[in-house]
Amino acid sequence: MIELDRRSFLKGAGAGGATCALASILPGSLAALEKEPLKALGEEVASICEMCSTRCPIKARVINGKNVYISGNKEAKSFGGKVCARGGAGHDLLYDPQRIVKPLKRVGKRGDGQWAEVSWQEAYELMADKLNTIKKEFGAETVAFSSKKGSLSGHFFHFAKAFGSPNTFTHGSLCPGAYVMASKAMFGTKLKRDLSNAKYIINFGHNLYEGINMSETRNLMKAQADRGAKLVVFEPRFSIVADKADEWHPIRPGTDVAIALAICHVLISDDLHDKAFIDQYVEGFDEFAKEVQHYTPEWAEPITDIKATDIRRIAREIAAEAPHALVDYGHRATFTTEEFEMRRAIFAINVLLGNIERKGGLYLGKKAKTYNKFAGEKVAPTLAKLTVEGMPKPSAKRIDQSDKQYTMTWKNGGIYQSVLEAALNDKPYGLKAWVMARTNPMQTMNDRAKVLAAMKKMEFIVVCDVYISETAAYADLILPESTYLERDEDVADKSGKNPAYYVRQRVVETIGDTKPSWQIFKEAADAMGIGNLFPWQDMETRQFAQLNGDAQELKRLKEKGYLSYGKPLLLREPSLVQAFVEQYPQAKATDADGTYSSQLKFKTPSGKIELSSTQVESFAPGRGVIRYRPVELKQADELYFIQGKVAVHTNGATHNVPMLANLMSDNGLWIHPVTAGKLGIQTGDRIRVTSSVGSEEGSALVTPGIRQDTVFAYMGFGSKTKELVRATGKGIHCGNLLPDRTAPVVGMNLHTTGVKLAKV
Amino acid sequence: MNNIWGDMTQYEPVTWHWVIAVYLFLAGLSAGSLLIGIGLRWAKSEINSAQEVATLKAAAVIGPVAICLGLACLIFDLTKPFDFWLILVNYNFESVMAIGVLALLLYTPLAFAYAMIVLRDDLPKWGMAFLSPIAMALLPMRKLIEGLLFVLAIGVGAYTGFLISAMNAYPMLNTAVLPALFLVSGLSAGAAANSVLALLMFNSDVHDFELGRMHRLEVPVMAVEILFLLMLFSALYFKGGAAAAALASLSTGLWANVFWIGVVGIGFGVPLLFMLLPAATRHSKGAMLTVACASLTGVLALRHFIVYAGQSYIS
Amino acid sequence: MKKRYVMIHDENRCIGCQACNVACRSENSVPEGVTRLQVRVEGPFGEAPDLHFKYHRVSCQQCENAPCVTVCPTGAAYFDDNGIVTINKDKCVGCMYCVAACPYKVRFMNPETKAADKCNFCKDTRLARGEDPACVSVCPTDALTFGDANDVNSEVSKLLNTKISYQDKSHLGTQPRIYRIPTKRGGIQS
Repeated sequence: MIELDRRSFLKGAGAGGATCALASILPGSLAALEKEPLKALGEEVASICEMCSTRCPIKARVINGKNVYISGNKEAKSFGGKVCARGGAGHDLLYDPQRIVKPLKRVGKRGDGQWAEVSWQEAYELMADKLNTIKKEFGAETVAFSSKKGSLSGHFFHFAKAFGSPNTFTHGSLCPGAYVMASKAMFGTKLKRDLSNAKYIINFGHNLYEGINMSETRNLMKAQADRGAKLVVFEPRFSIVADKADEWHPIRPGTDVAIALAICHVLISDDLHDKAFIDQYVEGFDEFAKEVQHYTPEWAEPITDIKATDIRRIAREIAAEAPHALVDYGHRATFTTEEFEMRRAIFAINVLLGNIERKGGLYLGKKAKTYNKFAGEKVAPTLAKLTVEGMPKPSAKRIDQSDKQYTMTWKNGGIYQSVLEAALNDKPYGLKAWVMARTNPMQTMNDRAKVLAAMKKMEFIVVCDVYISETAAYADLILPESTYLERDEDVADKSGKNPAYYVRQRVVETIGDTKPSWQIFKEAADAMGIGNLFPWQDMETRQFAQLNGDAQELKRLKEKGYLSYGKPLLLREPSLVQAFVEQYPQAKATDADGTYSSQLKFKTPSGKIELSSTQVESFAPGRGVIRYRPVELKQADELYFIQGKVAVHTNGATHNVPMLANLMSDNGLWIHPVTAGKLGIQTGDRIRVTSSVGSEEGSALVTPGIRQDTVFAYMGFGSKTKELVRATGKGIHCGNLLPDRTAPVVGMNLHTTGVKLAKV
Repeated sequence: MNNIWGDMTQYEPVTWHWVIAVYLFLAGLSAGSLLIGIGLRWAKSEINSAQEVATLKAAAVIGPVAICLGLACLIFDLTKPFDFWLILVNYNFESVMAIGVLALLLYTPLAFAYAMIVLRDDLPKWGMAFLSPIAMALLPMRKLIEGLLFVLAIGVGAYTGFLISAMNAYPMLNTAVLPALFLVSGLSAGAAANSVLALLMFNSDVHDFELGRMHRLEVPVMAVEILFLLMLFSALYFKGGAAAAALASLSTGLWANVFWIGVVGIGFGVPLLFMLLPAATRHSKGAMLTVACASLTGVLALRHFIVYAGQSYIS
Repeated sequence: MKKRYVMIHDENRCIGCQACNVACRSENSVPEGVTRLQVRVEGPFGEAPDLHFKYHRVSCQQCENAPCVTVCPTGAAYFDDNGIVTINKDKCVGCMYCVAACPYKVRFMNPETKAADKCNFCKDTRLARGEDPACVSVCPTDALTFGDANDVNSEVSKLLNTKISYQDKSHLGTQPRIYRIPTKRGGIQS
């Protein structure tokens, strides 16, 4: 029996430095504070959501100091004033007793869950001391910085650069990176989808009805329900988007590229491609056409399990609706290591359909600068870029910079998982510290055991978050960030077919001793002696500077929350160009056909769409032309293991939010009845899933909505640290089953693997 | 699809649990006991004997006590038991429960009044002599009270059935035969309880004439009960759909066991088996008590079966 | 003229995302553990690849012939002037008769008030302010339409007049005022 004398008890429970290992109330959590009513900062405040990466414009109203009702902001037309379940539940973060509201310092062994509350000053001093020592001894590059992309990553990466480390990472390589890089390789920029005007949509498992991106979800539904668009879905699982589709084709996991190439083949061999468009805008068509000669639908059939007749029919159907038809290039990627080819092949179909800058096709974002140039007048204010003089240039290369084929990743968030090899095997050099903001690699990066080993090898880990996430549980220092409902942030660009800006604003007074991350890293910089690189006073001065000192516009923006300027413009769409020209008398002269076709330029070396790219060939030999390469994703006696998003959770972040945890806290594994029958498994049975790197116990969901050779689980469940009380131990931890495998060129963490299944 | 819509416990079909089954049993028992007691008294040639018979005395005890216990169950099953008075001052006359409350409001005091009349000679023995003057004052109104009580007892007995048969979503409950079934099984329980109390409390002889008369009622009552059950199940069967699906309650799950072992085996089987025994054995006190307890168990099991299985199948 | 509020749930447009479920909980401060509204995604039914889900909205059906109102002994459950089935929590004793009698199982005992509770079309909160119920106002895909069916020009009247709709368990004679537009298999063009 443990003896507790009065002294050690008092020592353990003492105020300020409370350390408790086993208490039900986490030190530093909101539960330790007295509950106070919420203090609203306005009747209804317009702001920006942060429950996922879409960041929809919202409005929030405090109800009786008790609740917050969050809806969408109607000023943003395409968002329709709507909000999803996650967005609607965001206020639950505010008063969640498990939320962290005090900086915490690890006092026991790493990961043991023993924490002591410290003051911000102590936290900054500890951080400055450790990081500066590591910098002095090993160099600034031995500190990795990673963050969720968005408003916070700007300030955070500024901090990293000021510190002198080149090693900054977003979650891109764990989620949406591939389509961005494929798009940049071909078009020189990211593209957007005009779903609502499309008459025919092919979708490779971009599950917009579960992975909700409000404006795109609404646009897809508008196209389908109001405008009668046809939707064809290729996906191994019967998802909600598959249910809503006109056709669902249960494709073999990871073989989408073969379908996309076969469609290209039909379009070219049947002479259905837009030759005029290709002549004017496309580089490398001939090489591509030569390559796809081999990729007949008959060739694709045994690879994909999709009938050649269907592929051929679908290709002809979509061509008939071109250019008002598109193939969705997806979001969360990495069904296969051939991601780069897959996403490029999808873009290639769109190019062949000639749908670029047409209604119902793909288009380039029109920011203020471009838009104003076309209009010949200042329709929208341009946002000033706030740059700081005297930023240090890191002398070391990034850790993911040793292989040239990954050139494109360096400017697109990097290869996040390369932190693991660097930390564990000093490849290409060792890492000593890891600073993270709102990222949860222990949940979202492949091979949890490896992530854990890497974390354990670090000398110092700082995590900035609102919860003790699965990752924060292994930190040495946790910096409690204010929730998004308590933060003011930079004005953000939300331009689509026309310019638009929006801004995050505080809805309620800050609860507890938390700070917005821009302030945290500014103050940390002060403590570290690099405060001179953070010359702004506060967020208000930044916003003011962003709007070039236009106080009136800033006031208007804050009132409305979202400002849209001008009317939609697609350079090759006659009706939109005509309306644009009528609106702006000073507008640029149109071409003879009444469009701005000749003005459409791409930021590629050739200024054209590079269907085949000599630039890609230069850093990734053999990859200049899109080509099919067979991939081994599982062993013969294994099942494919795939994952996806559910409408009520965001992969690494929301599983402990009370309302959402109450909606769903377990991810029963989808198993086909035939597969389940062979193993004697029924719905609700306990099962064990084992892959090459890990093994997980979970529950079974026997359903015909999945291929016989595949099992599926929703991402983000099965947390293994005790701090996330509502999420821990519930469901299958996907990251623990996925091996750390990286796709060529795009550097994506592969999300398909082989597993064995057994009844427990 | 995985459940992403949250907790489903509030949607569990069974809303009313064993407390309500026990209440339905006790209310039926109270009514049945008084109906048997008063009925037998009326059926007797010379009503005005000065001596109250043991079976009637038993009924006079069971009537008020059982209904009070039942009401206690009901009140403490409310989510706001201390607000139960609201139900006495607010009435929705479309509601079977409101009508039942009214009936019980009359029935319960009358049951007490009648008990005082019947037990007037026993009151002093039980240290309740102070009630004797009231009993004597009520005595002249015996006929009126008895008549009213008889009618109200029919109402209360049937009400327990109407209460749950008024819910049209449940095919097994929403049947015309249910109130009749509950009334008859209440009689069965009443007769059994009367004999137990007569034998144990009022030292009735096993060969007592009244006891014998009551005993002879058992088989016909049981036969009617079985008939009603058959009607209930065949009606479900022929109605088809959700109603027929409810018949699964007879073949699967805990409540099938309760029905076959409790209702059929103990409630009907044991009394019928005892009839095969030689007269001497079956008329022993032990045998009579066993049969009575078996009947009571059967009726209690029936209430549970109907309440649980009935709510489990929704159309 | 008296209003006849109805709600239409278009199962073609519904994606089962639970935005309604959460918005309802936030607006009406519904306690943890109980719920006024959920949309169950049932299935998939059928033979692959011709499968389909059913999007089943589970909430008070606002019956015109409401069993809960009939059985309530104290009159705590009643129809308000516009026909919305309403609960006077001060009159409720918690006998659970309404909970048992509701064919849709959408009544529950509120653990905070100890009285019966359920959807009332947000009548105390949003409707009182002239807004649509919370579920309607947040629905990402516009699957819900709410309004006065006595007004021939209302959206709901137009929908009911032009689209095939059904009511849940109409054979029980409850006459629900939640109408459902059934899923059209294989695509959702209207």
